Amino acid sequence: MTSRQLLIRDVLVLLAFAGWSLALPAYASEFVVSMALTCLMYVALSSSWGLFCGSTRYLSLATSAFFGIGAYSTALLLGDFGWVETILMGSAAAALVAVVMGAAVLHLRGTYFAVLTFGMTELIMHAVTYFEKSVTGTVGRVLTVVPERDTIYLTVLALAVLSVAVSIVVRRTRFGLALMGIGADEQRAQTLGVNTRWIKIAGFAITAAFAGAVGAAMAVRWTYIDPHTVFNPFIGFQTVLITLIGGVLTLWGPLLAAVIFSVLAESLRLQFPQIYLMSLGLLLIVCVLYLPGGLASLRWETFKGWWYDTRDWAKDIQRDLTGENEREKQRIKRREKESHFV
Amino acid sequence: MSISAWLELIASGLITGGIYALVALGLNLQYGLMRILNIAHGEFLMVGAYLTWLFQTSYGLSPLLMVPVSFVVLLVLGVVVHFLCFRRLTATSPNLDVFEARGLMVAFGLMFLVQNFASWMWGGELRGYDYMTEPVKLGEAQFAANKLLVFFLALVFSGALIVLLRMTLLGKGVRALMQSPIGAQLMGIDTKRLHPLMFGIGLGLSGIAGALLSMAYTITPFMGQPYTVTALIVITLGGFGSMGGALIGGLFLGVIEALGMHFSNPSLKALLSYAIFIAVLLLRPEGLFTRKGRKA
Repeated sequence: MTSRQLLIRDVLVLLAFAGWSLALPAYASEFVVSMALTCLMYVALSSSWGLFCGSTRYLSLATSAFFGIGAYSTALLLGDFGWVETILMGSAAAALVAVVMGAAVLHLRGTYFAVLTFGMTELIMHAVTYFEKSVTGTVGRVLTVVPERDTIYLTVLALAVLSVAVSIVVRRTRFGLALMGIGADEQRAQTLGVNTRWIKIAGFAITAAFAGAVGAAMAVRWTYIDPHTVFNPFIGFQTVLITLIGGVLTLWGPLLAAVIFSVLAESLRLQFPQIYLMSLGLLLIVCVLYLPGGLASLRWETFKGWWYDTRDWAKDIQRDLTGENEREKQRIKRREKESHFV
Repeated sequence: MSISAWLELIASGLITGGIYALVALGLNLQYGLMRILNIAHGEFLMVGAYLTWLFQTSYGLSPLLMVPVSFVVLLVLGVVVHFLCFRRLTATSPNLDVFEARGLMVAFGLMFLVQNFASWMWGGELRGYDYMTEPVKLGEAQFAANKLLVFFLALVFSGALIVLLRMTLLGKGVRALMQSPIGAQLMGIDTKRLHPLMFGIGLGLSGIAGALLSMAYTITPFMGQPYTVTALIVITLGGFGSMGGALIGGLFLGVIEALGMHFSNPSLKALLSYAIFIAVLLLRPEGLFTRKGRKA
């Protein structure tokens, strides 16, 4: 397919997906709608995460920090401002924090970066807890003015569509190419004239803006928030997990994985929470080991490859058990000996 | 504040610091040697603690006896985990950066798996038993006997690991692999045997730390994560891959936490350790105790 055809295909898929989710609340039950809401939340989080962290290979675990900042800004602002302004402000606050954080830590790569972003998230969480305990004297806030369910659903849907649309667009711009270049080889990108510092900070801020907006929109769903629920590192882990399992570099992988995950989560979490988390861990390990490109990289050839691997392995064991390997070795030895005489 | 109160404060910091050092040494061995940042390290500490608790309460075995047992059990577990996950990862990763990122992800998976297995198996409530709780007087300061024992054993095992690495041929091989993997392999050091063994020893050390912890503190399935984070802080303080640095860093962090908690307030403890961690990573990512010019 040419690039133009790909673009048309992507836009059509996105439109179909958006239209279907738009129609969902009209006929589905309360439970399905709440599941769809979780799903849309993770679609928005993971495709915006993949936009920066996937292409540059900077593994950020700070998603929950931005999510929490968004949620807290809703808690503080919603009474005084309108719904849309609140979400915009939450997203702006998260982006601002990301710019500051990015300027400080984006010169470190790899594991250092991952560990630092995780540390920063915990630092922000503990700082907010401490501030609440000692200054305002309470932990957690109750949201009194809550918009209707449909408003929340539509907002999160709009954010999810927007984040996928931004990913589609960014891939085709110089900015997206620069991000890919940084992921492939940062020094080379620098040599070729990419201002890596600003590109990285901008990419990080875009990711954070989406996470902040999603946090701001989802905060009202809980009606009561405290630092441990909205800054829960699990939100960040799960985003990373979904993106990795879906396929970091692909557009539709994270979406696919988000759907699978929210179905799995909602069906297992209430009855067997530990089993759900254990299967999550197992899935992650198996995925990293056997499918490093993610679900979206799954092709017919992948299955063939697995089949051949298993067959070779079984054959090897069979040869070992029947003593064929030993005989083969002796044959080679004998042949070597004979070739000496010639 | 009187001198004896100061001493008591610093000593209690050193006692927690001893455990930190032991956990950090194991993590450091894994990261320094194989570039596996094992986020699940603390979970294996929790497994060690639960093993000790289980045998103490149901068969009445002395926790001291369980220290070597949990070392061996976790060593075997570590070798198995390495065989199942990291061997394939080493074989399939194109370069060290990719290996590191994927290893981190596998470790996250292990963390979910082990932590939730424990809470599914033994339930989420606090567990504990009494062991040597009578106080001991040292000069004017008073300590619980089990805490002193924990500190003493933690130092002994940390020292044993450092001596093992410094004095024996095995240790020489490990240090050579840390300095230059390719060079060491060219000299005939067998990575295929040494890597699983060292991964296992790292986990074994966390098993010892868990067994020791269960003597003095209550245990839960979620106790591991804070220790992992502390161990990360300690090895950043001491420098990735430096064993002496991890020992000093652990004791140092314990004392700082004790002093900080005494002079400000206890809810600042986590904030304080994260602040130190981030400051060190940003200002001196090669570690506080490493000499300039030598790559950690």
